[in-house]
Amino acid sequence: MPLEILLVLVVGGIAGITLLLHLTGHSEPFVLTPETARAQWLRHAPDDTIIDVTISNDRHAALVRTETGAGLLWSFGADTVARHLLDFDWIERPEGFEIQFHDFDTPGTLIHLDEIERAHWRHLMEPE
Amino acid sequence: MTDQISFPDAVQWAVPFFVAAILAEFLWIAVKGKGGRYETRDAVTSLIMGAGNIASGFLLGFIAYGFFMWLWQITPLDLGTSIPVIILCFVLDDFRYYWVHRFGHRIRWVWANHVNHHSSQHYNLTTALRQPWTYTFTLMMVVRAPLILIGFHPAMVLFVGGLNLIYQFWIHTEAIGKMPRWFEAIMNTPSHHRAHHGRNARYLDCNYAGVFIIWDKMFGTFVPEQENDRVDFGLVHNIGTFNPLRVAFHEWVGIWRDATQPGLTLRQRLAYCFAPPGYSHDGSRDSSEQIKAKHLARHPEDCGTPGFEHFDKKLPTGQAERV
Repeated sequence: MPLEILLVLVVGGIAGITLLLHLTGHSEPFVLTPETARAQWLRHAPDDTIIDVTISNDRHAALVRTETGAGLLWSFGADTVARHLLDFDWIERPEGFEIQFHDFDTPGTLIHLDEIERAHWRHLMEPE
Repeated sequence: MTDQISFPDAVQWAVPFFVAAILAEFLWIAVKGKGGRYETRDAVTSLIMGAGNIASGFLLGFIAYGFFMWLWQITPLDLGTSIPVIILCFVLDDFRYYWVHRFGHRIRWVWANHVNHHSSQHYNLTTALRQPWTYTFTLMMVVRAPLILIGFHPAMVLFVGGLNLIYQFWIHTEAIGKMPRWFEAIMNTPSHHRAHHGRNARYLDCNYAGVFIIWDKMFGTFVPEQENDRVDFGLVHNIGTFNPLRVAFHEWVGIWRDATQPGLTLRQRLAYCFAPPGYSHDGSRDSSEQIKAKHLARHPEDCGTPGFEHFDKKLPTGQAERV
């Protein structure tokens, strides 16, 4: 196949499918509830025993306290990703906390928190 | 010795079909309200990975092709290009695919290339196109050497390899349940390949087939999809990025970081490169066998069921071990 035609097909195909998915509402992030947050955490870390779950007001992140320490669960597209809070930095942003994991495959995430919940999350995330 | 043989690049010619089939699957899901899920960034990442795979073929394909042509120069055998020979080449190349794929899950160096294909938590036709960029670095082209040395022309070997990949496109879907029983018995199908993409303990390291599922049945790696254990797609440790560069290279970075940490023996450094994924020198990570054993400790009722046949039923809870 001529390279120009292949290029048009590939670029056009990707652009068209992206537009179609976005315009039909397939860009909405996963919405967490206490129940789904627990289920999602255990899906990622089935050996854990959960103590409690704190959901952010925007329902796209959850702080999960387990018997082995705290962890962060957050919306990742239509799915979720979870990480134990072991090796990380957090930076205060106007929108909330930016969590940076020292991990090439999961560099970090921005947790949107309002002023009231920010103090609570700060307390929960402090190392004990 | 015939040098000037030309076969079409089947994968490139299939690109319009790929786009049309993705649209058809998307519409099917939209109309039926079932049969899979799509998410914009996940799909875009998969499609860019597919485009990058084609680009890496343009940039690095000459290395494998040069190697194959060198083998072709030294072999005295030439089976020709008749239809039966092409069919035989297709079957033998699928056998080759089974082993390369199995190595891809059991040798971290090869897994570093293949992992990106499993890095989506979705399973739709775009997932089929989430293909690696770094195949050349795995050196797995050597597994094709016997085919060329026994007289299959390199162009034919690459052609049937392309057909193999095209076959595997349609099995990346939740829109198709089960195929007729005879087909499920011989061929790789959406059901068999869904199990392969599962991160559930049961489905780890199973169903490596490309086209014919018989290889898994012959070599003891076949696990049928279970109605009571819905496949959870993705990686044991799902990645948190849609950045194609991170998707393509994250496991290579992981190998580098692990193998270069201070205080390790040479054996441990090599194990971080070539042992099965999940190896760690300090026991801080779990291999697929350990993940299965831990699952059975939580769910002893699964002992002896598909995917767990090789674990001892008689051991008390918490001590399930591979036998």
